[in-house]
Amino acid sequence: MARLWGTLFVMAALLFTGCADSYQWSAKHPAYKQAPYGELTIAGLQKAFVITRTKWFANRLDFGDSTQIKATEFCAKAMEHEFRGGYSKLNVLPDSLLANFPEESQKLDDRIFMKGKLPEQGVIVNAPDGTIPPQILLIHEVIIGTDLKRENFFDYALIHNELEDKRDVKNISAIVSYTLWDNIKQRPLFSAVDEIQHPVIKLTLNDLEQLMRLTVQQIRKNMYTGAGK
Amino acid sequence: MKHLSLIAFVAVILMQAFLSGTAHAKDVFFDSHWTLWQNADILIWTPDKEPAIDPKEFCLSLRRNNSGIGEPKCRLFGEWERDTVAMRYATWLSNNIEPGLNAHLLKARHPAMMAKLQALEDKIVLFIADKGDKLQIAIFDETTLEPRSAGTVQKKNDKIALGDDIASAFFGRNTKRRLTKEERLKMETEPDDLYKETPTFRSWAGISAGYAQAHIPLTPYNWYKRKIRSRVSNYRATRDSVSLWNFMDDSTPLFTLYAGGIWFGFIGGEIFYRYSNHDVKIDERDEVYEELDHWNFTQHEIGLNVMFARTYDPFKWLDLHLFAFLGFQYSFYSEDIDVKDSKKKPSREYQTRFRTEDPYKGALFGFGTQCVFLQHYGLSVRTGISSRGKDVYVEPSPDAAAEPTTIGATTVDWFVSVGLEYHWTPFK
Repeated sequence: MARLWGTLFVMAALLFTGCADSYQWSAKHPAYKQAPYGELTIAGLQKAFVITRTKWFANRLDFGDSTQIKATEFCAKAMEHEFRGGYSKLNVLPDSLLANFPEESQKLDDRIFMKGKLPEQGVIVNAPDGTIPPQILLIHEVIIGTDLKRENFFDYALIHNELEDKRDVKNISAIVSYTLWDNIKQRPLFSAVDEIQHPVIKLTLNDLEQLMRLTVQQIRKNMYTGAGK
Repeated sequence: MKHLSLIAFVAVILMQAFLSGTAHAKDVFFDSHWTLWQNADILIWTPDKEPAIDPKEFCLSLRRNNSGIGEPKCRLFGEWERDTVAMRYATWLSNNIEPGLNAHLLKARHPAMMAKLQALEDKIVLFIADKGDKLQIAIFDETTLEPRSAGTVQKKNDKIALGDDIASAFFGRNTKRRLTKEERLKMETEPDDLYKETPTFRSWAGISAGYAQAHIPLTPYNWYKRKIRSRVSNYRATRDSVSLWNFMDDSTPLFTLYAGGIWFGFIGGEIFYRYSNHDVKIDERDEVYEELDHWNFTQHEIGLNVMFARTYDPFKWLDLHLFAFLGFQYSFYSEDIDVKDSKKKPSREYQTRFRTEDPYKGALFGFGTQCVFLQHYGLSVRTGISSRGKDVYVEPSPDAAAEPTTIGATTVDWFVSVGLEYHWTPFK
C-alpha cells in the first residue's frame, strides 16, 4: 500500500512540475518579419538596471559604498559596448524621451506579464538629432543577481513568494525584459523576457562584463528567431 | 458546340472577375457580434479634414439598408475630433488597420482613451479614415477597448453610394431595442437568473421503472446466444451453468427504489433496492415438467453507488445533472415453485433441482442524467451494466455429485430505467 501511495505521489509530482515549466517567454506582432540588422536604436539603458543582493556583490567587487549605483553603471556601459560591437550604427536614446509615456503591461503567457513604458499610440519618437528611428529596442528592466529565475519575477502567481538567499552561489544571472518597438506605426513588434546564467567561482568585473555580453547575444538571437517564426 | 463551350468558359471567367471585383469593394477584416440598437446613435469619427460621408445621407442609407433600424441619428463626433488623445489614436488606427490583424492588436492603450470608450453609453462610433483609394472603417462601442469590427470599402465620389456600401457591409445585422433608463436600472439591480450557488448538499429519493436484458447493446448477439437460448431440462441440466441467464429469462421489467445525496454538485452516493421477476426457462419438451404449475425467481438487489456529477443550468426552471456511477450490490433470489394440485408427490428430479446462491455479490456502473424542474421535481434516466457473481472456489463436499452445483458464477446484464424523483436541500 505504501508503495502504491509513493508511486501516486511521484506521478502527481511529475504532473505538477511538468505543468510549471511550459511558459511562453516572448510575443510577436504578426507584422514582425525582419530583425534589425546593421543599425539599431536603443532606449532605456540608463535606468533599466537593478542589482539584487547588493551586499553580496559589494563584498566581492571594489566599488566602495555605492555598489548599486556604480555596478549598474558598469553593467549599462558593458551592455552598450556589447551592442556597439553587434551593430555598425548604434543610436542610444536618452531615457528622458520615454519618461512621460504611460507604463503598460504586455501579456506573454497566461500568467506572464511584463511592464514597461511604451510610446503612446499616434506619437512618433524623435531622436535628439531630429531623425526618426524606424525601430527602437526598449530595454525595460535588467535584473542582476545570483541564481535568479525569471518566473519568480514575472509569473504573477509566484512574485509574492519570498526566496531564500542561497549561501553557495553557482551563477550570476541577468533577467532582461525588452520590446522591439515599431516607431512608425507605434506597435510592439517583439517582446520578450530572457534569463541568462553565467557560472562564477570568484566574482570579478570580468564576470559581470561576460554576463552582459551573453545577455546581448541572447537578445539578438531571440530577435532573429522571433522574426523567423 | 465547341464555340458554345468556349463562350460558356469566357462567361464563367468574366463572372469570376466580376464577383471578385465586387468582393474587393468591401472588405471586412473581422466582425464580432456587436449589438446594433434600434434608433441607434451613430457618431462619425474621422482623422481627416473632411468626413468622407455625409451624416444625414448616411442615416438614410442605414434606413434603406436595414428596415429594422428605426430612426437612427447620425452626427460627426466633434468631441473626439477636438481631443488630442482621441485624435492620436485615430491616426494610429488609420496607420494600423490592415488585413490579417485581430481586434486585440488594435486595442486602445492610453488610459484616457480607454475611459472615453467606456463612457460611450450605447452610442456606436463609426471610424472612417481616408487611405488613398479606400476608406478604412472601424466600429466601436462601450463594451470593449478594441474595435468590434474593421474593414475597408472602395472610395467613391458619390457620397450616397458610399454610405450605402458602408451600411450594407457593417450595419446589416438584426437590431435590438434599447432599454430605457428605468429598465436599465432594474436590470442592474435584479439578480441574475442564471447565477445560482450550488448547494452544499442536495438529496433525492425516487422510484424508477426500467428494463434489463443480458444482451448489452452494441455488442454482438453471438456472445449471448448460448445463454439466451439455453433451456433447463430435468430441473437442473443446462449446457453450462456459468450465468444465471442459462436458467432464467434475462429480459424483464425492473423496478427500483432509491435515495441519494450529492456534495457540492460533484461527488455523491446513492442507496437502492431493485426488484425484478425471472421465469425459469424450462425445456418444454421434457416430460418431467408435466407436474409443474409454475417456477420463477424473484430477484431482490440492494446496493450502494458512488457517483460523480456535473451540473448545467440551461434555464431558470431546469437543472441538468449529468452523472456517472459505480457501485456494488448484493442479489438475493427467492424461488416460487409449485406443482399442480393434482400431483400429490413431486418427482425426484423436483427435489434435486438447481439452487441459487444467497447472496450473489456484484458490481454495477453506468451513467445518466437527472433533469430537475423547479428545483424539486426530477426526471432521471440512467443506463448501465450490472453483474452478480459468487466465489467459484468452494470447499468440495461429499454431496457435490448428488447436489446440483450452485449456479451463476458470472451473470451480467444491461439495464435502462426512467425514474421520478423528488429533490431537496436539507441544509444550506
